[in-house]
Amino acid sequence: MPIVQLAKKIKTMEVGQELELVSDDVGSKEDIPAWCQRTGNQLIGMKELGKNYTYHIKKLK
Amino acid sequence: MDETKKVAIVVSECSFDKGVMAMMIANTAASMGMEVHMFFTFFGLNLLKKGARPKLPGTYRLFTRTFEKKMSKVGIPQFGEQLNMAKEQGVNIYACSTSMELMNVKEGDITEGAKIIGAAGFLNIAANTDMQYFIG
Repeated sequence: MPIVQLAKKIKTMEVGQELELVSDDVGSKEDIPAWCQRTGNQLIGMKELGKNYTYHIKKLK
Repeated sequence: MDETKKVAIVVSECSFDKGVMAMMIANTAASMGMEVHMFFTFFGLNLLKKGARPKLPGTYRLFTRTFEKKMSKVGIPQFGEQLNMAKEQGVNIYACSTSMELMNVKEGDITEGAKIIGAAGFLNIAANTDMQYFIG
């Protein structure tokens, strides 16, 4: 489950560090912003290229 | 961010689809920082037996293996892995004490880390949650 892996990864990072996440799941367009909002982390950017969606997330807490 | 949201999930069936779906909701909620409480009652209790490997319902049970392979391809972990993932993420797992008596399930038959409580105990927890799901 990618969202669980994301949560685990963020836990190992320092506040202020950024993470790049690439997904081929169209549902991630809703899921990743929702996850960031819930967990209080910042979605800095999102790019759509073909079937891939790239997200930049900054750890805020 | 709002204060920590709390989720209560009742699982009353032990089929593959219901078990996996309940675990996916629980694991996703936990990954979002939510506090999750899962109560396994009636047939749902079977999912907490050590080494549980749920089957698809009815005649579809024959296709369980095929379905498991498909899930692996899509990246969905099997039920047992998801149960461990939930424990790692701090999901609270409860076995219904009345169901245990009813189905003659002993404490030693239940997966490590599950807490045995009754309906009143769980309702007391659920009363303080923001979201409640019944999977059955």
